[in-house]
Amino acid sequence: MSQGATPDRDDILAMLGSLDGRPAEDVPELIESMELAWLVHQVEQRYGVRMELDSDQYGRMTTVSGAADVLREVIGMPDEHFRY
Amino acid sequence: MTKGLASTGFELVASPEWVDEILLRGADGDICLYSGGPIDRSALRRMVAERQSRLAAAGLRAGGSLALRLPPSPAYVANLLAGWRIGAQVILLDHRLTPFEVDTAFQRLAPQVVVAPGRITSSPLRAFADVEETVTPHPGRPAATPHAVIQFSSGSTGPSKVIGRTAADLVAEIDRYTRIDGVPLPGERVVVLASMVHVLGLVGGLLYGLHAGVQIRPPERLTGDSVLEAVAAEPAPATVLGVPFHIGLLASVVDPPALPQLKRMTTGGEPVPAATAAAFTGKYGVPLGNMWGMTEVGVIATDLFGEHRPALTPAPGLVVVERGGELLLSRPESPYVGSSDPDRWADGWLRTRDAGTVDPVTGLVTVKGRLDSQVSVGGLKVDLTEVEATVAELPGVVAAVVLHDDVITAYVQLTSPATATTVEAGLAERLAAYKRPRRMRVLDAMPRTTTGKLVRDRSVLRQAARGGR
Repeated sequence: MSQGATPDRDDILAMLGSLDGRPAEDVPELIESMELAWLVHQVEQRYGVRMELDSDQYGRMTTVSGAADVLREVIGMPDEHFRY
Repeated sequence: MTKGLASTGFELVASPEWVDEILLRGADGDICLYSGGPIDRSALRRMVAERQSRLAAAGLRAGGSLALRLPPSPAYVANLLAGWRIGAQVILLDHRLTPFEVDTAFQRLAPQVVVAPGRITSSPLRAFADVEETVTPHPGRPAATPHAVIQFSSGSTGPSKVIGRTAADLVAEIDRYTRIDGVPLPGERVVVLASMVHVLGLVGGLLYGLHAGVQIRPPERLTGDSVLEAVAAEPAPATVLGVPFHIGLLASVVDPPALPQLKRMTTGGEPVPAATAAAFTGKYGVPLGNMWGMTEVGVIATDLFGEHRPALTPAPGLVVVERGGELLLSRPESPYVGSSDPDRWADGWLRTRDAGTVDPVTGLVTVKGRLDSQVSVGGLKVDLTEVEATVAELPGVVAAVVLHDDVITAYVQLTSPATATTVEAGLAERLAAYKRPRRMRVLDAMPRTTTGKLVRDRSVLRQAARGGR
């Protein structure tokens, strides 16, 4: 994933896998709380931004597919959801 | 003593004065806590008094029992101190436990009052949540033991172990911290990342901080940038207290700013690989301290300057010995409630279930890993036997083996109509997320020995998964 691109499902699986060195195919669909913190941290580091999400968006980031949807939405609207 | 629900229980689980003398004492204007803004001691005392009134109105009395199932938050701190100040026994439940796990705990301990998060208004990444708690009377019974705090540890025989600690034992641990070189000093800050519901964050962060006059400063969020912002927020020196997961957060921050306030990072919960420690110290130029402890005791040994890695110096007043390859601790009483298992504690010695050695010359302790099926997930202890028993009891599961293979991995043999999805759904009802397998392999048939026992060898199971999918 490069800065400015939208992270897709594969990027998210790779970021979650980097938490404990798992290959992407071993990353489960469900995202638990520590993994969520790690994913947001990774996106922030790679984009150089701070993600400001509402409770509904966090609620949808409990699966890899949901996280991909949310990140696609917020990265399309950086002024609203990012703080540089 | 005030008569109430607890009139037939222990009259004073904890003499309430210890809360004021050890934890709440200090100048009114002293900033002791930070949550969205500074909280000084007079404000904290007001928060505690207000909770004390609510808990008393719900029927809690000295010798009574109170269950807290709150995330780390100002509400958690205030209710915990209020419960102790009343003289009640406080049962701490991780807020991530499922209703099934909470019900099981309540059946065993029968608290008289329950405080739960009615509404959490902050994001799930908040280290210190905004909680509007509910206080509910519960058909329970008074405290059955003199312990001030009750915690659970994932159990090797299925149900969780119930661990009790008296106020005197908590005060003794706080005292140990005051005598360990390298802990935050009065006037400094501790950026607490470890959960204050578990022993490292509870005693090493919250209780020691309140006692010593160290400002407790959780970051706004559990991300690397937010942790560094908390460190940079004030000029006073700051120690970051967490688990190895948090080292990963900080070590992966791109171009961190210069942080003259950062004094050290200290982690517990599991050993830190040397390469991880080197990466952290190389990036931040401060020591990465290491601690070894357990829910039953609190801090046991430390290496806060990273000088002896992986060895540790026993904390003042604790005696650690090695017997048959296992580390044992001198403890006058068993910490286990409702259990007299001599295999866990006997004759003044607590078996840690950690393999290790004690250097006969220096006294340094080296922990070499678990002797049982307990693993650490983000600093939280999970016993794989409990997970495996839960999987095996689900409908449609013919056989199951759960082991740790980088992550908690379940190998299962199922019968129709059970599928991996139904198993995952069943586990979601019965086990907190951090305990659940992060990898599931469904096999046509579980590998077995010639006598029919399930094979637990990782390589055999991996091979079966490759061939059986």
